[in-house]
Amino acid sequence: MTAGTRLLAVLGALALVLAGLALVALFVGSAPVSPRSVLAVLAGRAPAALEQVVVLDLRLPRILAALLAGGALAVAGVGFQGLTRNPLAEPSVLGVSSGAAFGVVIAQVFGLRAGVLDALGLTAFAFAGAFIAGLTVYGIAARAGGLPVHTLLLAGVIVGIFFSSAITVLISIVDFDRLGGVIYWLLGSLAPIPVGGLAVFAVVAAVGFWLILGQSRQLNLLALGEEGALQLGVHAERVKRRIFAGAALLTAAVVAFAGPIGFVGLIVPHALRMLLGPDHRVLVPTALLAGGVFLLAADTLARNLIAPAELSVGVITAFCGAPFFIYLLRARATRIGP
Amino acid sequence: MTALVEFGRVGFAYPVPHRTARSFAIRDLSFTVAAGEIFGVIGPNASGKTTLIRLLSRVLEPDSGDIRLEGERVRRLTRAAVATRIAVVPQSLPQGFPYTVEELVLMGRFPHAPGRFFESEGDRGIAVEAMTAMDVLELRAEPLDRLSGGERQRALLARALCQRPRLLVLDEPTSHLDLRYQAECVGLLRRLNGSSGLTIILVTHDLNLAGELCHRLLLLADGSAVREGPVESVLDEATLEAVYGCRVVVDKHPASRRPTVQVVWPGA
Amino acid sequence: MSARRRTARVPALVVGGMRDAMLTRAAALALLVLCSAGPAHAFTVTDPLGHTVTLPGPPKRIVSLVPSVTEILFAIGAQDLLVGVTDFCDHPAEASKKRSVGGMLAPSLETVVALKPDLVVVTPAGNREETFVQLERLKLPVYRVNPSSVADVLDLIARLGSLSGREKAAEQLVASLDRRVKLVADRVARLPRPRVLYVIWPEPLIVPGRGVLVSELLALAGADSVTANGGAPYPRYSLEAAVARGPEIIILASHGSRQGVMAREKWERFSALPAVRAGRLYNADGNLMHRYGPRVVDGLEQLARFIHPEAFGARPP
Repeated sequence: MTAGTRLLAVLGALALVLAGLALVALFVGSAPVSPRSVLAVLAGRAPAALEQVVVLDLRLPRILAALLAGGALAVAGVGFQGLTRNPLAEPSVLGVSSGAAFGVVIAQVFGLRAGVLDALGLTAFAFAGAFIAGLTVYGIAARAGGLPVHTLLLAGVIVGIFFSSAITVLISIVDFDRLGGVIYWLLGSLAPIPVGGLAVFAVVAAVGFWLILGQSRQLNLLALGEEGALQLGVHAERVKRRIFAGAALLTAAVVAFAGPIGFVGLIVPHALRMLLGPDHRVLVPTALLAGGVFLLAADTLARNLIAPAELSVGVITAFCGAPFFIYLLRARATRIGP
Repeated sequence: MTALVEFGRVGFAYPVPHRTARSFAIRDLSFTVAAGEIFGVIGPNASGKTTLIRLLSRVLEPDSGDIRLEGERVRRLTRAAVATRIAVVPQSLPQGFPYTVEELVLMGRFPHAPGRFFESEGDRGIAVEAMTAMDVLELRAEPLDRLSGGERQRALLARALCQRPRLLVLDEPTSHLDLRYQAECVGLLRRLNGSSGLTIILVTHDLNLAGELCHRLLLLADGSAVREGPVESVLDEATLEAVYGCRVVVDKHPASRRPTVQVVWPGA
Repeated sequence: MSARRRTARVPALVVGGMRDAMLTRAAALALLVLCSAGPAHAFTVTDPLGHTVTLPGPPKRIVSLVPSVTEILFAIGAQDLLVGVTDFCDHPAEASKKRSVGGMLAPSLETVVALKPDLVVVTPAGNREETFVQLERLKLPVYRVNPSSVADVLDLIARLGSLSGREKAAEQLVASLDRRVKLVADRVARLPRPRVLYVIWPEPLIVPGRGVLVSELLALAGADSVTANGGAPYPRYSLEAAVARGPEIIILASHGSRQGVMAREKWERFSALPAVRAGRLYNADGNLMHRYGPRVVDGLEQLARFIHPEAFGARPP
């Protein structure tokens, strides 16, 4: 079996899991809609308005948002870990997600909005914050002739800390009334996104994904070190710039539409690497699907565990992610001999 | 002799003081390497040997002067084109390199088709050939961090061969190896040079290896060429003492009759 | 006169506020009459925040995401219209028996939708903007409230009365609450006003500032709230700043269903404070005073008893 066919097989299996999970997620929820009704709505034979609203306006957009956000975060994680050759690298270490979060918190705290109560207004602030943070990180790290990876990591951490502190300051002065909403957002929450928003999200994520996928083979070669990669004809600087831009775009899009959600970008790439090996040409497309599956599962739990109240999806990813990771680490440790 | 590589008055300085505390430079360096020969680059630490490799493989751009490969300016070639002609075998792989032998060897095919996502059937065939030639085929699915030093080096050589280069550049090939693998390496390199006429540039601090294996040598000190020429003329006691700062005796190897260099240890 | 009048945020004396409330109520009723004279199927109201809300007819199924609104609906006997409440809607006890849609920050939209409401009542102070957006996207009419004064509360009761068809009960409730407020105001009118520090939350120290209900209640109860001039609605004070004002009475709010002592010992350390020397530290039931429902008047009466015990039949300290 060639590498290409093997990849297709893995992707096919993941797609099946994804479709199955999406169907399950469509079936469960606080509103009493039977699976038969769900299928009827999907087939276009709308039984009742209520069922249509629940399935098409509430559950389906939220499922799509979860799939997109999870995939985006996982791909950003793969790219960033490959770029920095650091297993602890996570999209949030880029500094971009803190910048985006800061943008949104500013908007919420000062009640800034584009007049009309439109969720897209908040996302504009998120993108603005992400853009500023990303540029700052790039500006700090870039030298004449290159983007040294360790400086990039440090710059990302510093910018992230700066914006996180700024958020803390804002929280400390925010109106008591708004505090709950701000903190809730900061835990990360997936809500149904309107079609227009989903389209924007999908397009931005697609660009980021394309940027990273296109450099997957080069990412493999980067493991030889930048010098080694250069000597094999890789344009190391171009690869780094594209990966950074791609990861930043993906992260910004997720934070803009779903708030800062942690763990996905750390856990999913690692788990995939342990199961499928270190070839980025396999990891990047797989991460897109696996990340979606992971976050969809987490979000389905989040909205059904203590129904009708809802947990933040970030809480679930943190809770489930850590033990799963520990298990994988231990399993791997026993497999590899001296 | 047809010059494969030509350095013409090359100058280079690292933009900021490099890890060693002084700003390092290569000054007005000129030498040629003929097609089909084994050319050694020797000299003390920080004499510019590694910088030379970087300049040749286009990791660095010279500040002045010309580097030509088969008559063409290296500057004019794309990185990938350079990599299809020059294969650099590094001293070691970065810590924690996760790929298997086969994946590493296949990386050597990248410069031939950088736009491809997956390697072609042809690429895989070439990789198998290279692994067979270097006797690592049965290790193809092993991750590199599980191999011995010698096996790892053979894998790196296989990757270099996969590039189908005109020129092989080895950076300290034997410095980490057990004697057995050092001997193996010499044999391999001789075979490659003899059977396929592969030109080899060997950068090493091991003067005896250079003396044994190379046809011609370049002795560097402080970024400048001290002497270039046949092995016997470069491995000359007075020259070596001036460059290395200690007393040496140049002798003949009992078995191969090639020059050997022995340090005169103080205090005996 | 416009029915969209926003009540002024400056804590006004009761009498002026009452007039506003009555005017607004009259205007709302007038609007209702005018609207009923129009097309029979359109029911348009304007919520206290100025948004126009259109329903097919008077609401029959209301989801309340605001605990104080739940209380009001029960108080005016409109609870049969209530089909969904939040987990925090715990008063009166029967409210807990209603179907819950989750928390205030993250109610389950599905549950709300499944209840088929024709009106959802929300507040920007407690619910999230995102929730309103989602509800409107689902074509559910959203009625926003945000009372910040006694007058606002009475106005809200009146509006909910006309929304639910319980105008009579609402009128009676407003009248009775009005009377009680006036009674308190009259009794303290000529009494000296002691300096009072009201502690909403001890750590960080959060106090009522300008334009919030508790500040108005304190003023009505005949106190001089030492923090009422702060620019923000709920400013955070340092302990020093609060103590420097030399309060003669300290009132500690309790929250939730437990009437626990909120950091009382902390304040008792400051033996030099007039309030501590006189032993005038009291626990107030936050549920009365922080919810903008009919029980604010109970809260007012509680405060009055703490501040002017002689005037309200309680033992002097």
